[in-house]
Amino acid sequence: MEFYTQNNLVRPVRLCETTRGFAYDSLNRKYGLDTLRVSSVSLDSIDRFENLSPIEKYDCCIQYIAMQAPIRICAGERISGSATLGNSIHHLVPATYGGKPVFGSISHLTVDFETVLKRGVFGIRDDVLASLERHKNTSRERFLRSCHACIEAFSLWHGRYLQALSTEEKWKDNYQNLLQVPFKPARTFYEAVQSIWFTFAFIRLCGNWPGIGRIDQLLGPYLKRDLEQGTLTLSEAREILAHFFIKGCEWINGQFIGSGDAQHYQNIVLGGIDAEGKTVTNEVTYLVLDIIEELGISDFPVSVRVSRTTDERLLTRVAEVMRYGGGILAVYNEDLVIEAMCEDGYSLEEARSFANDGCWEVQVPGKTYFIYSPFDALQVLQQRTLGGYEGNIIYKTYEDMYAQFKQDITCRVGEIASALRGYFEDKTDPDAPWVWKTQMPCTIVSLFEQGCVEQGLSYLEGGPVYNVHSPHIGGLADVANALYAIKKIVFDEQRCTFLDYMRILKNNWEGEETLRQYVLHRLDFYGNDCDAVDSIAAQILSDFADICRSFEQTHGYHFPGGVSTFGRQLEWTSKRLASPHGRRKGEILAANCSPTPDSDREGATAIIRSYCKADLKKLASGSALDVKLLPGNVSGSDGVQVIVGLIRGFATLGGFFMQPDVVDTTILREAQQHPENYQNLSVRVSGWNARFVTLNKEWQEMVILQNEHR
Amino acid sequence: MNTDKQLHVTEIQRFCMHDGPGIRTTVFLKGCPLSCAWCHNPETQSAQSELLYDEKLCIGCGKCGDCSQKVHSFLPEHYVKRDHCLQCGLCAALCPTQALFMSGISYTLPELRDLVLRDLPFYGRDGGVTLSGGEPLAQEGTVEFLRLCKSAEISTAVETCGYVNLKILERIVPFVDFFLWDVKDTNSGRHKQYTGVSNKLILDRLQYADRLGAKTRLRCILINGVNTDTRHYSNIGALVQRLVNCQGVDILPYHAYGGRKSTLLGRRDNGKIEWIPTQDQIDCFADTLQNMNVAVRCL
Repeated sequence: MEFYTQNNLVRPVRLCETTRGFAYDSLNRKYGLDTLRVSSVSLDSIDRFENLSPIEKYDCCIQYIAMQAPIRICAGERISGSATLGNSIHHLVPATYGGKPVFGSISHLTVDFETVLKRGVFGIRDDVLASLERHKNTSRERFLRSCHACIEAFSLWHGRYLQALSTEEKWKDNYQNLLQVPFKPARTFYEAVQSIWFTFAFIRLCGNWPGIGRIDQLLGPYLKRDLEQGTLTLSEAREILAHFFIKGCEWINGQFIGSGDAQHYQNIVLGGIDAEGKTVTNEVTYLVLDIIEELGISDFPVSVRVSRTTDERLLTRVAEVMRYGGGILAVYNEDLVIEAMCEDGYSLEEARSFANDGCWEVQVPGKTYFIYSPFDALQVLQQRTLGGYEGNIIYKTYEDMYAQFKQDITCRVGEIASALRGYFEDKTDPDAPWVWKTQMPCTIVSLFEQGCVEQGLSYLEGGPVYNVHSPHIGGLADVANALYAIKKIVFDEQRCTFLDYMRILKNNWEGEETLRQYVLHRLDFYGNDCDAVDSIAAQILSDFADICRSFEQTHGYHFPGGVSTFGRQLEWTSKRLASPHGRRKGEILAANCSPTPDSDREGATAIIRSYCKADLKKLASGSALDVKLLPGNVSGSDGVQVIVGLIRGFATLGGFFMQPDVVDTTILREAQQHPENYQNLSVRVSGWNARFVTLNKEWQEMVILQNEHR
Repeated sequence: MNTDKQLHVTEIQRFCMHDGPGIRTTVFLKGCPLSCAWCHNPETQSAQSELLYDEKLCIGCGKCGDCSQKVHSFLPEHYVKRDHCLQCGLCAALCPTQALFMSGISYTLPELRDLVLRDLPFYGRDGGVTLSGGEPLAQEGTVEFLRLCKSAEISTAVETCGYVNLKILERIVPFVDFFLWDVKDTNSGRHKQYTGVSNKLILDRLQYADRLGAKTRLRCILINGVNTDTRHYSNIGALVQRLVNCQGVDILPYHAYGGRKSTLLGRRDNGKIEWIPTQDQIDCFADTLQNMNVAVRCL
């Protein structure tokens, strides 16, 4: 049994053979293929289904899923509950009518597992009944009845597992635990793990992809108590928790879906401080690191909250685990994130509680509705500010050009802000309160988001405590480089006139190779720690953040800016023109806050410094930096020091989020040739990691491109 | 040029991982008293600035054609008449692709310190600056430069060939956390044959530095057919045993990648595949040292 690495480091063995075998099977698609056998339940037998209201239809979906989804208990599993319908993997509620899926589902949120652990689902049911009482005979009553019906369905599914587990002595522990959780509060570490898993599995079974959040904060107190009372050993706890990770691989099926099969937003956040400012890091933190180090499971991307004062033990463990590659671990600089969230209007306690949406956009877990709207700033520059290079627009100075660009960005963000208006009913009286439009039903996730049950509003209808709509700027490095190139070539060095430059770009650099080579080789672009261009990137981000803020508070929404491309630099390629920074039409350009491919010459420290020159705390949705390392850079104990150094520097300089990956492109090329030998080879794609062989060719090439020039 | 207030540098390499612990910035200094046949950084041998030309990068644009000495001609391929070149650097300044490149930039000491300190947040306890080259101690300014680095509380390392001025060595030791001390061959005759100088002075200086309390790691290049004899291996072991502050040996198996660099100077590729040592030779060297209780790493 071997679990992949990006180098010749041998993964340690701490878990028992049964657990390792279970992991091996699960990673090698055994349960994912089983999940694909049944894609959905059918609602065809329901009389006059078409005549039902959307929320009535939704309740039918959930009830049928609970009744009919296959029960799966895997050999040797220590915790039970499985999301066994194939359409859930496709982000759909897995119920069809007339062969067609009825509803889509929800992702980009981390639900409230804390309430499930402490009060149980019965506690939530009590809240539903109380709220029903308060909202009787109002428009909100129907949603609350749906809440009640969904809890009943959850209970039904729970009952089916209890029955299945009761048949054999070997499932005794699983059965006993499920008698208590998740409906009643967890009392032990083992119950707590089962409680989170069972709830998570049901939410996923219904098609949703929630994140996990701060698992060490959730589970730490239970483990501490069990260890103190001597009812559990650390190695036994590691086994139990490992099954949580292994069960999370039950959707691995090897299907090509473009951006990879591992992206179900099951993000975990480790470490950091709690609402009172006390350190969260505990034995569970280290158990999680042990497990992913040993099994290389990449399906739960893990983000560790670090700060200038994070202790050496944690940083060293993080670095040790990162060395194997796979892009599983990323880091937040929590000092800056907390500051950013406070600036965005959260209380200090709430800010300190941050986790993410399942990717890396930060949020208060279990309380936040989140959506983001990406746009390409490079296209804004090319199409709007520079008028598509048609020669109709001339700028006399760089400052004039930048001022227009800033105005164009304002316009673009304004378009995003006005789309917000679409969530609300039209109103004639400007002083009247905003009223949410009825949205697609989504009761299952609403049950686990604070605010929804209390207010009687769903997750999509303003129910959660916080509602966040974040414009995300993309193409940052490229737009900064493009502006810088025009500044240098046209205004500073006057190598050609503005109109000549436009003509050259319009012709896609045809016949202008000397100038293009000059631009490519003689200008220092973003990512090389060069103040002249980094200051442009910083200026863009600062202005963008201010622009977002100017639209905020229109209707109680948080409207923080963020920086991302995720994989969109691929789809934007066809819409982008030739670029002033020496790039021809059709080239794949920069990801997230990373440099334009093949433009960084100074190494990882320079990239981090360029990135950190921006005032990143103004962008409360977050800004991600990808850092690619070669296996040779990080081998041995010296390699651990190197990664620790990078993380410390990132935190000291004021970074937000960094996702380092250790990649050997020779191995990636080999995996393209012989995918069968590299089924589990994982790479960081963006906010997620994916099994490389499940990316389609375009995505694979992009990942290789991003890694090749180092 | 006031030589003790400036340093002549060929390259500043950031995010270096193999020239000492932690994350380091390595500064390659120009000028070396040795001329090793296998030199991996031939552009650092001469103390003067030099024109490098990489034909792979040339796009034949002809921007360099205005040279007063007619160094550049296009027949139609770009040909560089090096014996006419005055090393003025004008062509390199015009070259769009940096196919033509001047090696050797002078920095004032504070300038160079600031460049090294850019990565201060990443150095932590262990990381810092490594001076390499060329021979760092061939330039007097290194003493003052390292004093500046030490006052910024970063780790300092010097990779030296050991063929150095005694006075400079004495002055620099207090500011160097450790030396990576090259001992290319313990056989004096061979040393002279392949590097141009005898090893006597180098070994004397090493022992003197050791008495001054300088921490060292020996860096021993291993070249098949040159120094792959067991006498040399045990001599290295014995040398380490005589030193009080030597922490061990790094074995550097010769590789031929550096050879192409000499073509950029208009010389023949000095890389020789037959010089690459076998794994057995490397193991033998390492085993000999280990049997003598000498800590050894293979880089």
